[in-house]
Amino acid sequence: MVEILLALLFISTLMMVTAKRVTAVIISFSHQSFILFLLTLFEAVKINSLELYIVSALILIIKAAGIPMFLRRVVRDIKVNENVGFYIPPVLSLVCVMLLSYMAYIFAGRMLHINGSTQIISFTVSLSVILAGMFMMVFRMKAITQIIGLIVIENGLFLAAVVICGGMPFFVEISIFFDLFICVIILGIFVYRINMLFTHVDVDKLTELKG
Amino acid sequence: MNYFNINLSFLSDWLTGFFIFVILLISVPSAVYSMPYMKGHYSTKKSMLNWALLIMFVLSMLLVVSVGNTIYFLVSWELMSLLSFFFVVFDYEDTESVKAGVLYIIMTHLGTACIAAAFFLLYKYTGSFDYAVIKSNISYLPAEVKNIIFVLLFAGFGTKAGIVPLHIWLPQAHPQAPGHISSIMSGVMIKTAIYGIIRFAICIFGPGPLWWGYTVMTAAAVSCLVGVIYALMEHDIKRLLAYHSVENIGIILLGVGGAMILKNMGLQFLALLSLIAGLYHLINHAVFKSLLFLCAGSVYRATGTRDMEKMGGLIKAMPWTAASFLAGSLAISAIPPFNGFVSEWLTFQSLFGGALNSAGGSRLFFSLMAAALALTGGLAAACFVKAFGITFLAAPRSTAAGKALEVPPLMKYMTALLSVFALILGLAAVPAIKIIKKAAGMILAIDTAGFNFALNNSVVSVNADKGLYVSNPYFAILFICLAGVIAAALYVFLGRSSVKVGKTWGCGYYNLDSRTEYTATAFAKPFKIALGFFLKPFRKIKKEGDSIYHIKKFEYETHTTHVFNEYGYDILMKFIMSTAKKIRRSQPGSINIYLGYIFITLLVLMLTVNMF
Repeated sequence: MVEILLALLFISTLMMVTAKRVTAVIISFSHQSFILFLLTLFEAVKINSLELYIVSALILIIKAAGIPMFLRRVVRDIKVNENVGFYIPPVLSLVCVMLLSYMAYIFAGRMLHINGSTQIISFTVSLSVILAGMFMMVFRMKAITQIIGLIVIENGLFLAAVVICGGMPFFVEISIFFDLFICVIILGIFVYRINMLFTHVDVDKLTELKG
Repeated sequence: MNYFNINLSFLSDWLTGFFIFVILLISVPSAVYSMPYMKGHYSTKKSMLNWALLIMFVLSMLLVVSVGNTIYFLVSWELMSLLSFFFVVFDYEDTESVKAGVLYIIMTHLGTACIAAAFFLLYKYTGSFDYAVIKSNISYLPAEVKNIIFVLLFAGFGTKAGIVPLHIWLPQAHPQAPGHISSIMSGVMIKTAIYGIIRFAICIFGPGPLWWGYTVMTAAAVSCLVGVIYALMEHDIKRLLAYHSVENIGIILLGVGGAMILKNMGLQFLALLSLIAGLYHLINHAVFKSLLFLCAGSVYRATGTRDMEKMGGLIKAMPWTAASFLAGSLAISAIPPFNGFVSEWLTFQSLFGGALNSAGGSRLFFSLMAAALALTGGLAAACFVKAFGITFLAAPRSTAAGKALEVPPLMKYMTALLSVFALILGLAAVPAIKIIKKAAGMILAIDTAGFNFALNNSVVSVNADKGLYVSNPYFAILFICLAGVIAAALYVFLGRSSVKVGKTWGCGYYNLDSRTEYTATAFAKPFKIALGFFLKPFRKIKKEGDSIYHIKKFEYETHTTHVFNEYGYDILMKFIMSTAKKIRRSQPGSINIYLGYIFITLLVLMLTVNMF
C-alpha cells in the first residue's frame, strides 16, 4: 500500500516537472499534497498516534486545499500568460529528474546500509521530491514556480521525516506548517507587487536589481 | 575542551615598566597640549569625544605593553588600532583624512592578521596563550614553525612600526590626525610594535637563528635610508616628520636586531650595549618626535597650512615654538648636547663593536650597517636644516604666515617641557643608561651586575679601569667653552662694527619679496639629483610667450616617484581589483543562478558524502 502511494507521489512530482502551465503545476501540487496526506494518515493508523492524525488533517487543509487555492487566485488575478517559462524543455527536465532520483537512490542506499526495503524506497522518493523542487526553482522563470518549488521541497522533507522516523516532534511540525503558510502568503503578495511594478513575474528579468 | 580558559594576568618586569614610562612621558604633555589646541576649532561635543578617545587610546597602549597573555594582547592591540583610526578620521569632513584612514585600517588589519596567525600557531604547539607558559614550552616548537612565526610576527609588528616596505600608511595617516595625536601615534604607538618584537622575538623565543637578526637589521637599514630620503623630498611639515618616524624606527631596530645577532654570537656585552642603544633611541625618539609634532601642530594652528613652502619667518612671530622646534631638530639630527646624539652614538659603538669582534661576512655586514646609519644621520641633519630653515627663517612666504601669532601659553609650555626632556636625556645619559641596562639585561637574560660601561680610547668596553664614562656633560661643557672662546676671539679681533639692518637674506638689496626666497624644493634638489636612481624624479617645464625672449607664462612641475607604491602596491591593487571583477561575474543578480548554486552545492555534497 505504502509503495503504491509512494509511486503515485513520485508520478505527481514528475507531472509537476513536465507541466507547461502554471495552473497545471498547482493542480499537480495539490495532488501531491493529497497523496502525502494519505501517506501520513496511513502512518498514523499504523502507529496510532493522535499527533500524526492532527498533522495529516493539517496537510489536507493547508497543503492540499489552502495553498493551491491561494496560488490559483494569485495566478488568476495577476493575469499574466500561463506559461511557466522553461530554461530546460519538459522532456529534458523529465530526464534530468529521473537522473536525480537515481542519484537519490544511490545516496539513500549509502546512507541507510539496507537493501530493497520500503524505507530505502521511501527515502529515495522523498529525496527525489526535494531535488525536483530544487530543480523547479532553478530552471523555471515564473516567480510562482519558485514558490511552488519551495513548498515541494518542504513536502519532500516532511515525507522523509514521516517515513524514516514517524514524523518530527509535534510542535516542530505545527510551527513548520505555520511558517510555510505565512511564507506562501508573503511570497504571493510579493508576486503581486512585482507584477504591479514590472508588469511581469519573470525572475530572469529582475537582474537589474543587483548593486 | 577548555579552549578559552584565559587568565588576565599583568606583567611587572622592567620591559613593561620601561614602556609604561615612555607612554606616560609622551601622552601626558600631549594631552595637556590638546586642550588649547582643540579650543575654538572644534565643537564642545568633539572636544569631549577627543578626551574620551584619548583616554581610551592611552589605556589601550598601556594594556598592550602590560598584559601577559596573547589573547588579551590581541584585544588591546586591536583596540589601540581602532582608536587611532578614529583619530586619523577625526576631521572626517576632509576627504584626504578618510582616504588615509582607509589605507591605515587596511594595513593595520593585515598586520593584526599576521600577529593573530602567529599567536594561534604558538598556541597549537605550546598549548597556551600565557607568555610564561609559552616561554617554558618553547622547546616543543619545530625549527621551521619557529621561523614561520617569527616572519609572521615581524611582518605584523613591522606594519605597525612602519618598516619599509610596509610603511605606506604611516606618512598618510599620521599627519591627518590632530597635532597631539600625531605626536602620540608617532612618538608612542608605533613603539608598541617594537615592544612586540622585543617581547616575542627576543624575550620569549630567546636568541633565534642568526638570520632573524640579519633580517631585522637589513629591514632597519632600508627603513632608515628610505625614510630619510622621502622625508627630504617632502614639503608637508607633518608628513616630513612622519617619514622621519620611519627612519627612526629603523635606527631603533638596528639596535634591537644588533642585539639579536650579537647575543647569538655569544658577545653578551655588545648585545647588551646594542639593546641599550635601541631602547635609548626609542625613548629619545618618543621625546623629540612628539616635540616636533607638537611644534608642527602649533605651526599648523598659527598658519592654517602644513605646506612648508607657504611658511617662513615664523621665528619672529612665534619664538617659543621656534626654539622648541630647533631643540627637536638638533635632537633628531643627533647633535649634542641633545638626546638623539647619545643613542645614535651608542648604536654606532655597538655596530663598530660588532664589526671588530666578528669575522668574515658579519664584519662586513656590521660595517655596512654603520655606513647606512652614518648616511642616514647626514641626510637627517640636511632635512632638518630644510625643515627649520624654510619654516621659521627668512621672510613669510604667504600672508597666512605673515599674520601668524604665537600659540596659547599651554601649548608653548608643553613643547618647551618636551625640549627640556630632550636636553635632560642628553645630559643625564649615564643614569639613564643605568636604568635602561636593567631592562635590557632582563630582556636578554644577562646578569648586568658585572657590566660597567666605560670609554677606552673612544671605544666602549666592559670594565675599563678608569676611563671617561659615557657622558655627554663633558662634551657639552667642552663645546660651550669652545663656543665662548671663539666668540671672545671674534670680539677681540674684529671688534664691534656698525650694524645696518636690512631685509633677511636680502644681501643689501631693497626690493626683494618672498618670491625670491630659497624654497624647500630648491633645497632638496641636489639630493633629488644625487638620489635620482631611487627617487626617479619627474620634471616638466612649459613656457608660453611670444618668443623665447619674452615669456608670459612659465610652468614648472616636479615630483618624485614612490617606488614602493608604484611598483609594489599599485600592481598588487590592480591584480586584486581585476580578480574581484572576475569574481563579480559569478554574481549576475539572477535568482535562478543563485538557486542553482545552492542546488549544485547540494548535489556535490550528496555525491561526496562518503568522503567526509
